[in-house]
Order: sequence, then structure tokens, then C-alpha cells
Amino acid sequence: MDKIAYYNDLLARHEELLFHELSDCCGWKTEFIGIDFIQSRAIQGSSRDEIIEACMREIAAAGLVKEIAYAVAGQDVLLRLKVKGCMHLGKEIRLRERGIKVYNCIIVNMIHDQLIEKLGYETAYTAEIDVHEEEGWCEIKSAIFENMDKIGCVSDWAEECRRIDDENSWISVQA
Amino acid sequence: MGDLLEIISSRKSIRRFTTKPVPEAMIYKVLEAARWAPTGENYQPWRFIVVRNQETRNKIGDLAKVGSGSRMTAWYCLGHMQERFMKIEDPVKRAEVLRFMYSGEVSEFAKTAPVVIAIMGSLKVGSVDVPYDLSAAIENMLLEAHSLGLGGCWVHGPVASSRDAKKFKQILNVPTGMNEYKVIAYIAIGWALEARKHPRPKLPLHELVYWEEYGKTSQRKLTLEEIVSWEQFGEEGK
Repeated sequence: MDKIAYYNDLLARHEELLFHELSDCCGWKTEFIGIDFIQSRAIQGSSRDEIIEACMREIAAAGLVKEIAYAVAGQDVLLRLKVKGCMHLGKEIRLRERGIKVYNCIIVNMIHDQLIEKLGYETAYTAEIDVHEEEGWCEIKSAIFENMDKIGCVSDWAEECRRIDDENSWISVQA
Repeated sequence: MGDLLEIISSRKSIRRFTTKPVPEAMIYKVLEAARWAPTGENYQPWRFIVVRNQETRNKIGDLAKVGSGSRMTAWYCLGHMQERFMKIEDPVKRAEVLRFMYSGEVSEFAKTAPVVIAIMGSLKVGSVDVPYDLSAAIENMLLEAHSLGLGGCWVHGPVASSRDAKKFKQILNVPTGMNEYKVIAYIAIGWALEARKHPRPKLPLHELVYWEEYGKTSQRKLTLEEIVSWEQFGEEGK
């Protein structure tokens, strides 16, 4: 029996149900999903990048993903992640099969949690999740806010993403 | 008995208030209206916290600003907000409206509303109906406030995310466990500073109603895109 597929099917049913209850806002309710794992690890760091990279190492070492990369841009508000070989990809595929926009990335929830818990970030918001199921990876764009003054710091994320790719400013961790 | 529809159809959300205090008798009438809302099996799971303290309202206003502002900052950065507000033709005005939204200022008004009423439901008293019961109570409160000449607004933003809902509970000393109370919203009420205009245009009934079964209609329905951009339409048909 494929236990990962089994658990992903259960999660997908739960997320389908939540979507049915809350539609496009359901992602606002799921930010604690995944935090038990990351809080059980002794994530340490005194800067944003140290925390993100410490989370990535733990996530990859535990086998939750095969590879994970990040970049921060847009006045330090845009956190862009690429996640390859995530054990929860099956959940996202199930949701897409049922016509539901993917809304809950457990991996980014973990990173947000540690930025908030360890560095006192004001808040974070998962803005967009693109699933590339055939290639087996996801791209997540989230907004991270170090403090209240960062609310309203806007930029063109399409342009920011182009720059990240052109300059190859990704930092990655492999399992 | 007067026609309630006049009160219902003339209400609009008010977010700007004068500093004039709201008499306690009026607050009680608003709460009394909530008490008579429909509730499944008469569970009455609603509980209310009336907040007039400025410091507490400031905390709620900041939480709302962060909640709305964080989401709208991201939506603006992705280009979604700009699409939504294309209906504002003047680019300067459009930019100001957008800034007002993504800065979160749009949701800060708990700071200036004389009265904020938090609405929460007991998950131990109520059943599946809790969010629906509470929503019915909120609507009653807004209608009663309007009938008394007060303005009001229903605000969900600061309790929308799980983390913010917990912070909101902490501000008001509500038990934070997810098994006890669900905080669904607050309403801000006070004397309207802004002139009362007619409520924003609503879709006509024939867009909303089917007869006997889904899909049965004699008129062409708007597409989803047309519905989203409804307020861009001319006065005809509104």
C-alpha cells in the first residue's frame, strides 16, 4: 500500500470539503497545517535567510521534498519558492482533478510559521500556488511582512520573478 | 406595520464616523435585534463583546489593517487589484483608491467607530448552524442600527485567517482554543460622517432567481465576467 498516496487522498478530501465551505478564502484558514512538524525541529537563525534555509534543510532532510529553492525580492515582501518532489504533490493533483484551485502549501506554511515565531514577522500570506504536476514541482509566491511598515510595499511581481530568473538568484537545498 | 424592505434596501456600509457617542439605549436596541435572529433549534450560540475603549479599538483597527493590507498588497503585486479597479477611469483617483486598499487603511476604521461589537459563537452551545446563526444576528444588528439612523459595517477581515482570529481573541480575552468560540466578525457602528448615498447597485432579480429548478429562466443570464464588472455598466438596468 502506498501510504503517502493514502494520506494525500485524505488530505485532499478535507481540503475539498473546506473549499466547499469557504470557497476562495479557504487558504486563509489553513496556515497552521504543517507547523507541528517544523515546531518540533529546533529551527535556529537570527535573520530571515537563516530561518528560511534552516527550515528548508529540515524539510528536505525529513524527506518531505526532494529539492527546494527560494528567492526573496520586491522590497523583501515577495518570497518565491520552488518545491520539487514534494510528498504532498498528490494532494494538489487530486484537488486539480476536481476543479479546485490549489490553496494550501504545507511547506510554505512551515516557513511562514518560523518567520513569525522566531523573528517576530508581522504576518505572511500565501498568494499563489502553481502546480506543474507533469514535471513534479510547484512554485509558490507568498508575501512576507517583517513589520507593519511593510504592509503596502508593492512591486510588480512578474517583473521581480523575471529578474530572479535572469540573475539566477535562487538558493536551493536538496535532500 | 411599515415595509421593512425600505430599511433593507436603503442600508449601506458606513466606514467613516463622527466622534459623537452612541447612546447606550441605542446599543441595547442593536443587541436586542440580534437576540431575535433565527437560530437553529433555538441554540442561540451568539455572544457579543461591546467595545468602546479606544486602546482596544486601536488594536482591532491595526489587526484589520494588517489582515486586509497583507492580502491586498499581494493581490496588487500580482496585478489582480488593478484589474478589479479598472472601472475607475481617472488614473490619479484609481491609484489613490488602490493605495487605500493595499495599505490596509480601508479596514482601519475600528479606531474611529465609537462602538465595535465583536460577534462570536459558542461551539459548545451551537451546532452546525453557528456561522449562519451569527450571520443572521449581524444582519439584524445592521438593520436595527440603520433604522435608528446609525451607520455600520460588517467586518470579517481581522478574523479571516486562523492566526489573526487567535490574535483577535487575545485582544478581547476570549479563550483561544479552536474548540470553544468561533469569532466570525465584528460590526462597527456610529453616526455616519459620510453623506448617505444610495447603496451600490445590485444585480436585478432575474439574474439571481430560477423558477422551479436550476437553470430555468426566460432571460439570458450574465456571464461571470459581466457579473464581476457589474458596476461598470451604465445606469440602465441597475
